Amino acid sequence: MAHYKLRKAEPEDVTDILRLIKELAKIVEKEDQVMLTEKDLLEDGFGEHPFYHCIVAEVPAEQQKVEGYSVIGFAMYYFTYDPWIGKLLYLEDFFVMKEYRCLGIGSEILKNLSVTALKSGCNSMHFIVAQSNEASINFYKRRGALDLSLAEGWRLFRIDKQCLLNLSAEE
Amino acid sequence: MNFIIRAARPEDCKAVERMIMELAVYERMPDQVKISHKELERDGFSQNPFYHCLVAEVPEAHKSTEGHTTVGYVLYYYTYSTWKGRCIYMEDLYVMPDFRERGIGKALVASIAKVGTEQQCMHLQFSVLDWNKPSLDFYMSKGAQDLTAKEGWHLLRFDGVALIKLAQEAP
Repeated sequence: MAHYKLRKAEPEDVTDILRLIKELAKIVEKEDQVMLTEKDLLEDGFGEHPFYHCIVAEVPAEQQKVEGYSVIGFAMYYFTYDPWIGKLLYLEDFFVMKEYRCLGIGSEILKNLSVTALKSGCNSMHFIVAQSNEASINFYKRRGALDLSLAEGWRLFRIDKQCLLNLSAEE
Repeated sequence: MNFIIRAARPEDCKAVERMIMELAVYERMPDQVKISHKELERDGFSQNPFYHCLVAEVPEAHKSTEGHTTVGYVLYYYTYSTWKGRCIYMEDLYVMPDFRERGIGKALVASIAKVGTEQQCMHLQFSVLDWNKPSLDFYMSKGAQDLTAKEGWHLLRFDGVALIKLAQEAP
């Protein structure tokens, strides 16, 4: 069984975080859509009012299966608000390198996030999953997650930057 | 009818609480509202607020039959995309029925679009119930894309009970 530890991300982890973000995006064939840079991650995650929080999974040097990489998983989250129930923890991204799967690291990350959510006074954890990603949906449902899109009919919408600029000019 | 859009103040929380309940009744889920103006005051007006809110106000001469001058609100917060960076999420948008068709909803959306572009957000996201045709039509006319239909995204939740269970799971 691999030895690993979960810890809060530090500024020097941004290189590895971006690498893992791109690895996850590559799996869904969207690597070219990753616009974030290490500079963005540094400014947005480690300033006075961070836009996100991050935990990383790290293995010791002797356990590395892929040369040079000791950070082998991450979860990025932030706090949101539901006017009906108050504070929520929103899980934005969650990824473990394929060489380190089925070792319990994903489950441990989820447990860590749940503890963080409860300690922070959150009543719920929310996240989105693509309907086609059956493996992930089953992973979460086995652990008690409810699909609100199916159960209550919620659909996610986006207005992109150009439309936002047009709308703000309408004011 | 004249109206103004302005940032909510702590004393607006009772009016916002009232309108949150009106919206929950419209969404057919009033029994899911668990928080009151006290939590709204605590969570929205501290040094690190969990949400932001704009309200629509009419002059005294145009107040509602119950005597309300705060007739609409938009509640939002900042999120983070691992592909694009800073984003803005519109959690609630509501205008009292007697004050619709006067441009207030459009002005609230334009205001949040302006906040989003000023804060360098890459997009605005929000959720709509699949049966809510008036809202669906309104947002589609503003250039919104239905990501649940287009890309299959589903919203999932670990509620309080599931969260506690996850936090207690042995590694």
